[in-house]
Amino acid sequence: MSMRRDVVVGALVLLLGGPAWAGRDLFVVDLPTDPASLDPQLQWDPDSYSVYRNVFDNLLARDGAGMIVPQVATAWHYDDDTHISFTIRDGIRFQDGSALTPEDVAFSIRRITDPAFKSPQLSQFDQITAADVTGPHEVRVTTRTAYPVLLAQLTKLSIIPKALVERDSAGFNQHPVGSGPYRFVSRVQGVKVELAANPDYWRGQPPFARVEMHPVPDESTRIADVRTGRADITRILSTDNADRLRDDKQLKVLWTPSERVSMLELNALDGLTRDVRVREAIAHAVDRDTIIEALLKGYAKPVNEPLTPASFGYDPSVPAYGFDQAKARALLKEAGVAPGASVSFLTSPVFDQRIVQAVQQMLGDVGLDAKIGTVDLATYLRRRQGRPDEAGDVSYFRWSCGCQDADGTLFPLFHSTSQWAKYRNPTVDSALSAGRNTLDPVARIADYRTALAAIHADVAVVPLFQDVTMFVARKQVQFQPTANESFFLFDMGWTE
Amino acid sequence: MGRYIAGRLAQAAIATFIVITIVFFVMRLSGDPTLLLVPEGANAAQIAELRHALGFDRPLPVQYLGYLNDLAHFDLGQSLVQRAPVWLIVQSRIPYTVALAAGALVFALVTGIPAGIAMAVWRGGITERLLSAVVLAGQSLPTFWSGILLILLFGVSLRWLPTSGADGPASLVMPSVVLGALAMSTFARMTRISVLEELGRDYVTAARARGLSMGAAVMRHVLRNAAIPVLTVVALEVGNLLAGAVIVETVFTWPGIGQLAMQSIFARDFLVVQAIVLFVSVVYIALNLLTDLAYSAVDPRIRGMA
Repeated sequence: MSMRRDVVVGALVLLLGGPAWAGRDLFVVDLPTDPASLDPQLQWDPDSYSVYRNVFDNLLARDGAGMIVPQVATAWHYDDDTHISFTIRDGIRFQDGSALTPEDVAFSIRRITDPAFKSPQLSQFDQITAADVTGPHEVRVTTRTAYPVLLAQLTKLSIIPKALVERDSAGFNQHPVGSGPYRFVSRVQGVKVELAANPDYWRGQPPFARVEMHPVPDESTRIADVRTGRADITRILSTDNADRLRDDKQLKVLWTPSERVSMLELNALDGLTRDVRVREAIAHAVDRDTIIEALLKGYAKPVNEPLTPASFGYDPSVPAYGFDQAKARALLKEAGVAPGASVSFLTSPVFDQRIVQAVQQMLGDVGLDAKIGTVDLATYLRRRQGRPDEAGDVSYFRWSCGCQDADGTLFPLFHSTSQWAKYRNPTVDSALSAGRNTLDPVARIADYRTALAAIHADVAVVPLFQDVTMFVARKQVQFQPTANESFFLFDMGWTE
Repeated sequence: MGRYIAGRLAQAAIATFIVITIVFFVMRLSGDPTLLLVPEGANAAQIAELRHALGFDRPLPVQYLGYLNDLAHFDLGQSLVQRAPVWLIVQSRIPYTVALAAGALVFALVTGIPAGIAMAVWRGGITERLLSAVVLAGQSLPTFWSGILLILLFGVSLRWLPTSGADGPASLVMPSVVLGALAMSTFARMTRISVLEELGRDYVTAARARGLSMGAAVMRHVLRNAAIPVLTVVALEVGNLLAGAVIVETVFTWPGIGQLAMQSIFARDFLVVQAIVLFVSVVYIALNLLTDLAYSAVDPRIRGMA
């Protein structure tokens, strides 16, 4: 199969080109945590990503609509199911003045896929078995099998300078050099990271001459910083804060539904929830509209499946279960569950406990006594990925694969070979395996429709809502958040 | 005296070793960092591969012996998350924590001791009642709350002080006040008790009978005698101020070791947490040791008791 995309430079500039508004000399961003690493091939937490993604270019990118578009690669085509060739853009220079070459691209892939490098991101790229320079402007990537999520994963691959990194791989984390719109200037641990505009950036002039990113862990302090003009923008998590600041004359709340879904995972392998009628009763007992309106102040969007419209494979035809307490009680009675029977409800403090308690109350209203078990995140992850009898009958969690593809959500959560899955259905298994092993998008859509229909019928999960990404910014800041939670300074601006 | 010092040093070394051991095992028993490091969706084989690469699949005693061996060579290791030497990471934060502790101590001393004296001298009056309320507030207000209140008042409404960060002396004011509030209360209460005790002694009555004013009696005679128990508490409070700034540093974004500790605990960055605990323990134990040695120098009976 072959798929060629030739993209003319003019279209690219239109698509990715710099903003039309005026710039600002110093732009200050408050980050919720101190970036863990500035080397883009190490940690992948949101705040590290917010910094280094502005210093580096990636092989591919996503546009505002979520489509995969060229960045360092101008075009690509499949030679066969397991080989894909990328044309590398000419004329890109790293911030130290050296040219970005196909060798740098191949090196970037080899480094992150080398088990000895111990990159926590390895699982996103470990289907790649080789990256070879096959021409003056071409790199060929080989995968183990046909791997349809490859392009989505490569939107997260930053290109690093081979010569510099080979000279000092450890030091690169302290002094990163990329080809992106901003160059690294300095860092004081826990205080700030300073960036300066790259005047030779190939996509145009960045909007701010200098940028400072300050780690400010406390959300109230971050908001105070923006209110006093000490910071220009910050990410927030509390919908109460977003609601409170909505009418502030100096500020604006910027938000968009993300690809992250909040859901109740139901354990089909252990406890009362082994009975599909009990799972269906739980689905009907939960009033998600009340949760969204009363607790989240409308900052969420209901979804009927564990995917969002931002993901490939999303099926808009999956119906909602519907809030119906009478039906829930009838189903429990039919399943022989006595009123007051208990189900274990696993959660962690990192999740919104108001929602956990609301769900507990809603289950209580139909006669199920949900026993909340709150454990720290590491323990939660261990239990959720461990034996079915440890995973809780019901567990609340949020999921984003960061790849905007059904495979990254459905396979780990519902394929019986995955450590996350507390559910088995051969139809789902074969549909998910088929979707993972073909490059044909039409066939994949059909596979995911089959899987989603079975998952819905089996009530393996109660999808609640699509989470939102929220920022509080000064009124003058121009920025449109995207579903993939990116934070590109190049796409921002400032209007007086 | 030499034998006494050697004995106390040995005790301090044993205490440090016990702390290191407890922290090592508690951190590891509380969960595997590999699960927090991998992206969502990593399969069991991928997780196992990273766990192996990081060495967390080795038996716990083997990991413990390796850690002790590294410590014996003054090697605190590499941060799992930041991939940088742990000592460099911790070292960069120590000056901030010391500055904050110093600021808090100065605030606590210049407000707590005069407040304590005033409460003793004007005992039973309106002054004591007002000051008691302030002392009680300093003792009971949670720092995360009082910190936010100060930010809203002096940072957002009045705009006198920066709301966060470490941009110079102005940034140190609010965190010092919030962190020093508890120590201020302790100093005020201790000073009040000590001064009251001294005020009841005969030499004060005699001084007053000679026509000395109350102020002069307090300044010339009482304070000197009342200071000894207060100074003991001050020495111990320094340890608390160095170790107890986690919440204050988080609220005010003060980049000290408290904030680093919080961040490292959440990220399960074992080696950084261990290094921080080691640092704080050594400081605490050293302060206690110095206090004990100072006591024993002043009062030979203590040497006999040890």
